[in-house]
Amino acid sequence: MDFELDEEYRMLNETVSKFVDNELMPLEAAVLEREASGDGYELSAEELAPLYEKCRALGLWGLDCPEETGGADLPALALVGVNEALGRTVTPFTFPPDSPNLHMMLATVNDEQREKYLEPYARGETISAIAISEPGAGADPAGMITRAVRDGDDWVINGRKIWISRIREADFAIVMAVTDVAKGSRGGISAFIVDKGTPGLEVARDIKLIGGHSNCEVVLEDCRIPTSQLLGVEGQGFAPMQLRLIVRRLQMGAWCLGMANRALDMMCEHANQRVTFGEPLANRQSIQWWVADAVTRTHCLKLMLWDAATKQDNGDDVRTEASMIKLYGTELATDVIDNAMQAFGAMGMTKELPLQMMAQRVRLMRIYEGPSEVHRWVLARRRLKESS
Amino acid sequence: MKILVAVKRVADYNVKVRAKSDNTGPDLANVKMAINPFCEIAVEEAVRMKENGIASEIIAVSVGPQSAQEQVRTALALGADRGILVQTDTDLEPLAIAKCFKAICDNEKPDMVLLGKQAIDGDNNQTGQMIAALTGWSQATFASEITIDGDAVTVIREVDAGLQTVKLKLPAVITADLRLNEPRYASLPNIMKAKKKTIDNTTPEELGVDTSPRVTLLKAAPPAERQAGVKVEDVAELIDKLKNEAKVIS
Repeated sequence: MDFELDEEYRMLNETVSKFVDNELMPLEAAVLEREASGDGYELSAEELAPLYEKCRALGLWGLDCPEETGGADLPALALVGVNEALGRTVTPFTFPPDSPNLHMMLATVNDEQREKYLEPYARGETISAIAISEPGAGADPAGMITRAVRDGDDWVINGRKIWISRIREADFAIVMAVTDVAKGSRGGISAFIVDKGTPGLEVARDIKLIGGHSNCEVVLEDCRIPTSQLLGVEGQGFAPMQLRLIVRRLQMGAWCLGMANRALDMMCEHANQRVTFGEPLANRQSIQWWVADAVTRTHCLKLMLWDAATKQDNGDDVRTEASMIKLYGTELATDVIDNAMQAFGAMGMTKELPLQMMAQRVRLMRIYEGPSEVHRWVLARRRLKESS
Repeated sequence: MKILVAVKRVADYNVKVRAKSDNTGPDLANVKMAINPFCEIAVEEAVRMKENGIASEIIAVSVGPQSAQEQVRTALALGADRGILVQTDTDLEPLAIAKCFKAICDNEKPDMVLLGKQAIDGDNNQTGQMIAALTGWSQATFASEITIDGDAVTVIREVDAGLQTVKLKLPAVITADLRLNEPRYASLPNIMKAKKKTIDNTTPEELGVDTSPRVTLLKAAPPAERQAGVKVEDVAELIDKLKNEAKVIS
């Protein structure tokens, strides 16, 4: 067993770390200030343009896209370090295109869809959104009620979808809908590609979330699309959607590792410098225990990520590992960031430091892509079943 | 033009290096290692010369442990064409390193050897000068600008009094200062290409170099910790202290 990353992935991590340190970190102060004054959190087009230009020059584009679409086709193991580095900064940025939808499409598109949707998306020319959750079905997507009914050569979709990121900018959305009520999640849920501007797809409202995020609720009312917009096999939309979630959960675990390490770095630096009652904070046992727990748990998370990524690259099913990582990573980062904020005292509460933004983002991460409790339940159920 | 460029494996500049508890040297266990920043500037300069059609081949050379192959590979990812690793587990002194380079110069016959002005570990600032002395080639240290015209090289050097311009003939040994350029990051396609480039392994013994140390290390210890300063009430007190305590003004 070799716990060393390959040389080329170490070099890639080095390049990404430099990109984060030199290009993204300098934007943090402005982003935090903007968010604090209520002027939004996302990077502006002017801020993004030079970043995208740099990414292209460095080949940091389409990292996990297949080679035939111009991507680098990197294995999941190589992406752990990439996402860890991105997690260190609160400047909202990922290397395009966003991986989860890409993987879902890779597993499902036909030739026509490959050319029309996947290839431009992999080249970073289009933006996608995904509509899974509903007001009455979030952590339990199998409970969705949005219906797609076949009508001649069309599908007609009716329902409500919520918590959809980037739907306003997206060129197309992947919409999950029930096509066979009796079968439900076991063969009755399908995925459809709905283009921007399709009549019957309306954004009902924008919802502001903590962590600088905002997303939308969408109404589908007699939204008519041709049968060619069915993504994958009718009734078989659930499995590729799960695949998409696995990719995201591993990515989230790596972001959490980056966040926790940044918070730990900040905490240690502060604890060595800050003197209270005549002693550096670093001499206090409570701080030492936070540090000890953080180094132990971040090490553990890193090994979990390497293990899951290696298995995924070998083609194994990593649903269980992905659940563990999502659960463990978000809770670990929550604790480390909270301890760092506590160590900083009043300074840790300010909107000048990235800690509060990290705390908000990780709070949100304990909900999306499956709340901790659901992951615990799933993990326990699987294990108990083994002994039943 | 063929360029030999030196890359040294050192502790990353962000790492706070500590002395080993037995004072036999710096403690590098589990420390992040990287290319010496000045070497990175030298590599960048060589790559720019190749991009501008001045250089035809860049050979990255490191003298160090097997793990220094990683730094040679990084140089290849930045644009060097091939690498040479002179493998040794001994921490060689500048003279021994310079002799290794001299032997490689005899074999490879480069037109220029580019190095960092010093490495951030030992801060010796000797290897470049020693290579020039051993090869008898012209030298320009602390370069902040290099212009090549045929077999003449004009180098602007950063010296204490300001900038000094020197003109030398090739072959030459040039060491890079901080402001020579700003090194690029290795791009992903170049990282992948670097995998296929060759790194030749050799040893000081194969090069016929006597590496026996000329210097005995007695003790490695961290510098004395700086004492906290004092706060003065006013300018008059400051001047008084500068005059009578620090004795830096009269």
